[in-house]
Amino acid sequence: MDTATLGIWSAAIMTLFLYSYIFVDNPFFKFAEHAYIGVAAAYGMVLQIDNMIRPTIKTKLLVQGQWILIIPIILGLMIYTRYFKSINYIARYTVAFMVGVGAGVVLARDFRASFMLQVADTMRSVTGPGGVENLIVMVGVVTTLTYFFFTLEQKGFVGVTAKIGRWTMMIALGAAFGNTVMARVSLFLGRVQFLLGDWLGIL
Amino acid sequence: MWQKLQNVDRRVIYVLMMIVCVYALLNPMGLPISINETTRMAYDKIQALQPGDIVWLGYEFSAGGVPELVPAIKATAKMAFEKGARIVSGTMWLEGQNLGGAALREMADLQGKVYGVDYVQIGYKPGGQVFLERAVDDLWDAAVGIDENGADLATLPLMEEVKSMAAFDLIFIYCTGNPGDKEYVKIVGDRLNVPICSSVVSVSVPESMPFVRSGQLAGLLMGMRGAAEFEILAKIPGNAVSGMDAQSLSHVLIIVFIIVGNLAFLLGGKKGGRV
Repeated sequence: MDTATLGIWSAAIMTLFLYSYIFVDNPFFKFAEHAYIGVAAAYGMVLQIDNMIRPTIKTKLLVQGQWILIIPIILGLMIYTRYFKSINYIARYTVAFMVGVGAGVVLARDFRASFMLQVADTMRSVTGPGGVENLIVMVGVVTTLTYFFFTLEQKGFVGVTAKIGRWTMMIALGAAFGNTVMARVSLFLGRVQFLLGDWLGIL
Repeated sequence: MWQKLQNVDRRVIYVLMMIVCVYALLNPMGLPISINETTRMAYDKIQALQPGDIVWLGYEFSAGGVPELVPAIKATAKMAFEKGARIVSGTMWLEGQNLGGAALREMADLQGKVYGVDYVQIGYKPGGQVFLERAVDDLWDAAVGIDENGADLATLPLMEEVKSMAAFDLIFIYCTGNPGDKEYVKIVGDRLNVPICSSVVSVSVPESMPFVRSGQLAGLLMGMRGAAEFEILAKIPGNAVSGMDAQSLSHVLIIVFIIVGNLAFLLGGKKGGRV
């Protein structure tokens, strides 16, 4: 048996083990679940070492002499102090640094691309081509925001607007659920195609 | 009867779903697949490529995205290579390197493309948004100077023309979550004037659609349906096209479940069912 065939058989058996869970929890499912976690962890570690850690130390640090990289390396190693109770507070400096950098990167980009441009996009002309669609988007955004506006009591005009907002959200959730169903069916179809085609060869 | 239907064993539903999917796959009906506007937009972007242009493919997905995204990668690669374009790929997702990389290699081999000259795979690079921020200015540095096999980027002729993300004429992302197309829109799209197209799993469609409307995404393939449309446009009908009959039939079955479930709830004394 060559490695490709062995791979197909392993994947097919693991797939069947995992799908057996929908009928009843069983040891085969547990085995496949634990094997997946173990393999995924090992695979991730190897890729991290090969694709980033080793070339960073070998090439950038030792060959190119980018000694500034010692700082993030030390910050990374500091994370492991959490395993030592007396000095575990040191790990917090690394976490604080990561949170700070992460927040800076995200906020700087998010504000314009995900907020300002999207807000601007709701302010399109409701006359002319696409006017009806623009109107639906505008009404949907305004009424949904009104639903989350708690300063005024939600009755009268504000109440009706908030109710429309609630219906808008329910329609959006329905659409999202429909897409979720489609995604899950696609996942299942992928495995069935694999089992019938690659494994059994009847597709 | 309605009371019984409220408490139907979920395993019955699973078995019915399996039967429908397997039947539809073994007996294809060839239901028509029309081309969506957002798919056509992405197709037009590929057709606008000139010989020598360079395309970035981002495999931002895990194993769960394979049925919906790998067919789209194959179709994109085939069309791009046919236009004479070259491809550089990478991923911020661990599993993307092997899953997406295999699809591109398959298409490249079919068309006799040479690694390093016609296409390069830099593979998995950690960092997420931070990687993208760096890649916009210096892709070599963000990739730590190596491709997926550890080869020095300086030894790959194509990479001489690709110092940063600004070198690309088109960016095509295949994603199942974050980091994904939204990060590309925010970081790459916001800084560079490069069209970005995306292929997403169905569950992510509502999140990505606003970016198409605002023009931040130049095209969008929506789940397996979008991949099937792309396969048809690329003239390589494969797993996505063959899966659409099963997809459609399973949706009919789910609609029937929902109608029957609601009827059972309304006519069965409104006692609610077992969840």
